[in-house]
Amino acid sequence: MASVADFAQAQAPVYHQERPAKSGLVDWLTTVDHKKIGILYGTAGVFWLLIGGLEALLFRLQLAKPDQDLFIGTQYNGLVTMHATTMVFLAVMPMIAGFSNYFVPLMIGARDVAFPRLNAFSWYTFLFGSLVINASIVFAHFPAGGWTGYAPLSTRAYGNDGMDFWWAGLVLLAISSMVAGVNFVVTILNMRAPGMTLMRVPVLAWMMLVIQFLLAFSFPPIAVGLIFLAFDRTFGAVFYETAMGGDPHLWQHLFWLFGHPEVYVLILPSMGIVSEVLPVFARRPLFGQHAVIFSGVFIGFVGFGVWGHHMFTAGMGPIADAVFAATTAVIAIPTGVKIFNWLGTLWGGKLTFPVAMLFAISFIPMFTIGGLSGVMHANAPLDLQQHDSYFVVAHFHYVLVGGALQGLFSGIYFYFPKITGKMLSEALGKAHFWLFLIGMNMTFWPMHDLGNRGMPRRIYTYPADAGWNFDNLLATAGVFFMAAGTLIMVYNMLNSLKNGKEAGRDPWDANTLEWMTTSPPPAHNFDFTPVVFSERPLFDHKHTEDLAIPVPSEAEQIHMPSPSWKPLVVATGALLIIVGLLLFNVAPLLWLVSVAGALTVVVGIYQWVSEPV
Amino acid sequence: MSYRLLTIRALRDRLARHPAGRVALSLLHVAVTAALPLLLLWLAGCSTEPAPRDTHSPVSDNGEISSFFYSLLLYLDAAILAIVVAVWAYALVKFKKQDGDDTLPEQSHGNMKLEVIWTAIPTLIVVAITVPMLVGVFKMSKRHDPNQPVVEVDVTGKQWWWEFDYKNGVGAGLHTANELHLPADTAITLHMTSADVIHAWWVPRLGGKRDANPGRTYPMSFTPKVPGIYDGQCAELCGSSHALMGTKLIVHPIAAEIEVEYKGQKVKIESYDSWVKAQQQPAKAPVAELEKGLKLFKERTCPSCHLINGLEGTDVAARSASSGPNLTHVGSRMGIAANTLVNNPENIAKWISKPSAVKPGAKMPDGLVTPEDAKTIAAFLSSLK
Repeated sequence: MASVADFAQAQAPVYHQERPAKSGLVDWLTTVDHKKIGILYGTAGVFWLLIGGLEALLFRLQLAKPDQDLFIGTQYNGLVTMHATTMVFLAVMPMIAGFSNYFVPLMIGARDVAFPRLNAFSWYTFLFGSLVINASIVFAHFPAGGWTGYAPLSTRAYGNDGMDFWWAGLVLLAISSMVAGVNFVVTILNMRAPGMTLMRVPVLAWMMLVIQFLLAFSFPPIAVGLIFLAFDRTFGAVFYETAMGGDPHLWQHLFWLFGHPEVYVLILPSMGIVSEVLPVFARRPLFGQHAVIFSGVFIGFVGFGVWGHHMFTAGMGPIADAVFAATTAVIAIPTGVKIFNWLGTLWGGKLTFPVAMLFAISFIPMFTIGGLSGVMHANAPLDLQQHDSYFVVAHFHYVLVGGALQGLFSGIYFYFPKITGKMLSEALGKAHFWLFLIGMNMTFWPMHDLGNRGMPRRIYTYPADAGWNFDNLLATAGVFFMAAGTLIMVYNMLNSLKNGKEAGRDPWDANTLEWMTTSPPPAHNFDFTPVVFSERPLFDHKHTEDLAIPVPSEAEQIHMPSPSWKPLVVATGALLIIVGLLLFNVAPLLWLVSVAGALTVVVGIYQWVSEPV
Repeated sequence: MSYRLLTIRALRDRLARHPAGRVALSLLHVAVTAALPLLLLWLAGCSTEPAPRDTHSPVSDNGEISSFFYSLLLYLDAAILAIVVAVWAYALVKFKKQDGDDTLPEQSHGNMKLEVIWTAIPTLIVVAITVPMLVGVFKMSKRHDPNQPVVEVDVTGKQWWWEFDYKNGVGAGLHTANELHLPADTAITLHMTSADVIHAWWVPRLGGKRDANPGRTYPMSFTPKVPGIYDGQCAELCGSSHALMGTKLIVHPIAAEIEVEYKGQKVKIESYDSWVKAQQQPAKAPVAELEKGLKLFKERTCPSCHLINGLEGTDVAARSASSGPNLTHVGSRMGIAANTLVNNPENIAKWISKPSAVKPGAKMPDGLVTPEDAKTIAAFLSSLK
């Protein structure tokens, strides 16, 4: 029987790069290597996860008891807005981008993404966007209009100065996501290894393909909405000004036409990770792999037709309410199919439980709870009670923390050895898992009850006689458990970088191509292009003689893209355009900064296309 | 490599060796087994703390529809969750890899029959819950027959209080603030709108909320059934004092006065007609000490925002988006500052001497009245029953 070690005997490839990579800081600034960009995204994601968690901890302290005045009014609203904006856009999305960048090319047997410099450009626009949003606290105040940014509360007349930084940062993030979406769609569709038909693409890469379509098609509506908002705030346009014929519902439709597909952007990758992790530790194939893939695709499509369920109370009328309620209920079907197939994967397996598996198995019931309360929200007459109450807060935290975040944690424990070559500590990981699971349920379960007891979301204080005291205290206590667990994870990662056990190529006895190469993989990923015969190429190689991946005798000629400064230059130009618009509020003449930015973009792109790669 | 499901397993083995440990283990076992149903009971509202704003003790036809679907879906969801968790837990225990067993399990790639079954059954369930839900949507949006007696009220959300303008019936022409008075067993239509940002008027015991949008008016029709006093508040983030934009719904009996319980106390509620009659009276001119309060009220420019019907020099305010609540019968209200404070002279003085200390961002300016003057004005306002 073959083993992964065989691949080490292949001849070292002949390696070609137009301009060889430098080392150190310059390398990280100019890199176009999908793995390095993935590490940058992932690190930024974990960093912002800690910041977003801290923000949550602060406002939960305010809510621990009734009638407190730790953070009141716009301070509280600012913390809530930044917690959600940070968690959605700056923590979970970059963590997903990190996995997508690092593992999609490896999983499909490619050497890099289709457009490596565009990939670096996505990273820089993301980085600048995250910094612009958070610069609000340095130069003004935290934006306080809610992460949903509902007009007219977000407009100049009613919103605070932080909302300028909010739209500006989100515009950059939208550019980043749209560009990345196109890049990865092209990568997955065109750069698969020989023999890797679409139905042999690993489920995680499939889910990444689905979300890249969602990103490419759902960010344009919010970009339009944000630019309207920017015009309202900066130049006195009246898109959302009712007295002048504008309409605040316009914002809600544009926002949720993005916002609901975005929910699937956040959850589908974690479903993909769970679909990779369960088969490895159950030692059998994913049950109903095609059903899992198609249900993901179906969720992606239907996800564009359900946004109105966020607006049942807005007054769209019964016809629209009925249509959106019915389409939303349909989403339960493919979601159920996925859950049943994961159970089918566990059933009859031989299960082991390292931390990656613990997070993956706890994903199943936790996500199911969030999904089932979602079925309640799909019911428009019931949603009139639950909308904007703590019940809905409980719902989306079970989906996004119990689902998305637990899936990403599973991915971290599963893939860390591949990325760094070092194993994470299992003991620390278990402490993280249990603290997090307990804390999560302690915080979010009582919120169902709070919603049933009529507590609206986003209120900074509540009277002592409303019947919300016990649940709120419990919810605040749980945050400390989650915080402790997450800090343990960060310590675990830092500690393992130095002291971790060597991982080797294939520490989990896994099934897919990324485990065939060294940990961490070389710049060119694989010494030779693998040939794929099934959806589990590495498993076949290890267990089935006739399906073993053939190791070529001749070394391959490999051309790798050269590092480049141009993505950073063009992204800086985009940043300057945005900064100029912000400065226009300070002194109108400073719009010249935008002009300088536009010139930088034009010159940068010209150099970009003429640069030899 | 072998991994244990729980790090506490070793601890469990050690405990099981001692009799006392075994008792502790079985107690733990019972606790864990009972946890799920207990959690569900909690969700169903069986907690000891009273829930004055319970969403599932409805007092209107609309609230009953929402509550019906909650019960239906709660039981359905609980059943589905129980099945998923049972299969999941059984699989985790049953199919644990045994130490030393390095053989591969059966490499099944799936089962078409199962896929069809577990797609078809959820589809049937979804259809089964969607059809009655659609009926509910149209039932709740049904408007009252305008030929029948209907009480219509314009509800306007303002940062951060509620204005109620009565359009028809015996109360036509009344303007009140924050406390909405309605007759029981009567068809009601509220027309929701806003003067500034989006708000949402929500009294959980009455039923679902509706957004109050600037530039749009949306109707909300229902029939309140149980006389009583019900608290609520704005449910759509509307700025710095969103948390303090409270409201009260007082459902009056049609005929005679009755006694209801509110926050553990017996409170009398007069009939709707007698409440309307009282509200239609102009304010009584203050006498003696209270006259000083009226004088200060006028001097400190209060009437530029606040109307008091029937008192000379105080009924001139141009009604506009910026105007504050009508104060003709402010002394008869249960709360002030949008139900944030109990209505008594001390709280009124506290509120008007420094509004921003009670409600961050309040539109009523600080520093209009000194604390001394505030007490005098408060005494006058409290007298406006």
